[in-house]
Amino acid sequence: MYMHILRNVRLTRLRLGLVTLLGLMVLGGATAQSVPAGTLRVGMESPSKLDPAYASSDAEIAVLNAVYDYLVDVDADNNIQPRLATSWKVSQDGLTYTFQLAPNATWHDGSPVTAQDVVYTFDRLRNPDLKLPTSDLYADIDTIEATGTHEVTFTLKQTNPFFLYDLSDNHAVIVKKGTTDFGSTFNGSGPFVVESYHPDDRMVLKANPDYFLSGKPGVGTLQLIFFSDQSAEVSALRGGQIDLAMRLPSSLYESLKGVNGITRVDVPTNGFNVVRLRSDHKPGSDPRVVQALKLAVDRKAITEAVTQGLGVVGNDTPIGPLYKKYFDAGATPPATDTAKAKELLKEAGYPNGLKLDLYTPNTGDRPDLAVVLKQQLAKAGFDINVVVEPESVYYGDNKWLQVDFGITGWGSRPYPQFYLNVMLECGAKWNETHFCNQEFDKLAKEAGNTLDAQKRIDDYHKIQQMLASSGPIVIPYFFPQLGAIRDGFTGFQMKAFAGRTDLASVHAQ
Amino acid sequence: MASSAAAAARRSAWLRGLLELYRKPSSALGTSLVAVFLILAALGPLATPYGATEQVFTDRSQPPSLRHLFGTDHLGRDVFSRVVAGDRDIFLLAGSGTLIAVVVGTLVGLFATYRGRWAEEITYRFFDSLLAVPALLLALLLLGSLGPSRSSVLAVIAVAYTPIVARVVRSVVLDTKTKEYVLAARMQGESTAFVLGREILPSVLPALAVESALRFSYAIFLVASLGFLGVGVQPPNPDWGLMVSEARDFVYLTPWTLTFPALAISLLVIGVNLLADGLKRVLQVGAGP
Repeated sequence: MYMHILRNVRLTRLRLGLVTLLGLMVLGGATAQSVPAGTLRVGMESPSKLDPAYASSDAEIAVLNAVYDYLVDVDADNNIQPRLATSWKVSQDGLTYTFQLAPNATWHDGSPVTAQDVVYTFDRLRNPDLKLPTSDLYADIDTIEATGTHEVTFTLKQTNPFFLYDLSDNHAVIVKKGTTDFGSTFNGSGPFVVESYHPDDRMVLKANPDYFLSGKPGVGTLQLIFFSDQSAEVSALRGGQIDLAMRLPSSLYESLKGVNGITRVDVPTNGFNVVRLRSDHKPGSDPRVVQALKLAVDRKAITEAVTQGLGVVGNDTPIGPLYKKYFDAGATPPATDTAKAKELLKEAGYPNGLKLDLYTPNTGDRPDLAVVLKQQLAKAGFDINVVVEPESVYYGDNKWLQVDFGITGWGSRPYPQFYLNVMLECGAKWNETHFCNQEFDKLAKEAGNTLDAQKRIDDYHKIQQMLASSGPIVIPYFFPQLGAIRDGFTGFQMKAFAGRTDLASVHAQ
Repeated sequence: MASSAAAAARRSAWLRGLLELYRKPSSALGTSLVAVFLILAALGPLATPYGATEQVFTDRSQPPSLRHLFGTDHLGRDVFSRVVAGDRDIFLLAGSGTLIAVVVGTLVGLFATYRGRWAEEITYRFFDSLLAVPALLLALLLLGSLGPSRSSVLAVIAVAYTPIVARVVRSVVLDTKTKEYVLAARMQGESTAFVLGREILPSVLPALAVESALRFSYAIFLVASLGFLGVGVQPPNPDWGLMVSEARDFVYLTPWTLTFPALAISLLVIGVNLLADGLKRVLQVGAGP
């Protein structure tokens, strides 16, 4: 057609060139603006739980994020952004949140998204009788009411400065009222509609033509292709069988350096591996042993060797440099000193060294971390026996909460309070060190409730000082989120939690 | 005098056997390969310039050179030293595992088959049930309950291969126990132990030697597979399978960390198999009386 018009009009070379250029611009603009075109093939691990309440891995969250919508979203800079809720108001006392929903949002079956659906979603997630993993998170919600067809109101029992982040929790995609068969039906409101799902193989999704956010999604077809082996995934990326891979180990990421047609993407995160010794009984109950452990570790050397220098050196606190205003650069652990560590071990009653089994899941760079730690700690008199276990064994039956000495991976969160609440407070659900310190609890509680931003910053700084100097955990580094995408796509912006990356904003050129 | 003459005769028989192995290129190659690995395993730390788990921070990810024959991995460990240490480990693990399987399998096979009737029935039906499960699956099941460690791997090899050895023994014993010289010994009132040890065992030995070599090659493979799957020997031990598994993500960055342990597994397994073939020929197993 296009050529046909050109042939009829008979223009000079120059004009012909200009018109072609204009035409291409119009065509290009058209594909980017209105009609989603092209295919984006994303490699990822196989999702296993697609019920939003149980989903947790990046792959699972990526599927949810494509098929459903969150009430509010978090952008790459950890700022809250509208999604299904177009606007919201917070009452003066900080206890009432009122959200306006997008009036034109519809479910994939054609029915409109209403406030009732939001009420159903959060009532389900917080219902203590259902024993869902999210019930603790939403325990501070008093009531949720549909105050209009497209207006929903949350009332809290106590102030929570991070409530909007809680609402944007990975589990909290909005589902249609009455839905129970998650995992087999996918009636979302999101940018993509599930066309076919072959577990352990692939999921094919088509652009949702009625999506309420204009300009999204960018591609006509989204293929999620599942890999059980990351080196196979990277080979597929090199060979052009997939276009995008995220959550790469640093080794494979480094191997893509300078490969034609592939762009590497590197995003800092607050994800970390925590090396922790149980503090509720010997030997970890002796502060001298903990101090010896902290003195024996060379965090910089670990970061260099284990993350190929791509990570950011940690200070033994979960509040990392990513949380700019909360981070206290002055809170640093004692400098590496193996002689002093050895001395402390001797004082603590281990003149001939301390023998410990170090448990670690077999995923990511954790086995490498264990091996490097073994060598570093040996110099200070620790005799470490590394036990690598499949992730399912390490986390199964809560074994990770039982073992004396272990390495655990913690994902990146948009705000730091989460780590304090579930990992370090007395009796917290995932308090793997069994750490219990009244002063810490007081600071953490206050930081988590106060609406005074400066007070919160002060509390977080005190917490970092405390953890860095004498806390029960060693956090040698924060890992980066590493990904790679084939040329020919625009609009890709990877997030610290890869599963929350907005695949709907990616366009094929 | 007589005993030393007999010893000399035995020695020359060994020598003749060895020479016989070198008469065919395939078994010559196999024998040489096994010999090289065996010598390296025996030398162990004497042959290696670095410790197997020693991390030299400044020497990370170095390609093969005179300083590091097989290069270094991303943690600065010398791959040659690790391959040699792994060689010793695999001979010890697969070797002693095979030895246990051969000794237990032979004893059980001899007694159960010689006794016949219910002893034989029960033993072999039990062994059949073990054989119905593939060795690797059986290994994974056992390691799942025992937990990963060196001794568990040893136990796994013994449990997986004892029935197979016992079966081979049985086939020979069934044939031998009706032979006239065995019947004569029994008629003379010799004890069961004597009949089994002096009359039957010698005819089992050639088949057993070949089977042992074959079992050894499978045991090497099993140890490496378990290491690769991460349920066998634990890091930072220089297990070949584990090394291959750890190096997978580094295949583009430091290919030598993958190549050398993988090559070592292949060469040793091929070597032992060729040796087993050679033994079969030299000892005339399966060639009839």
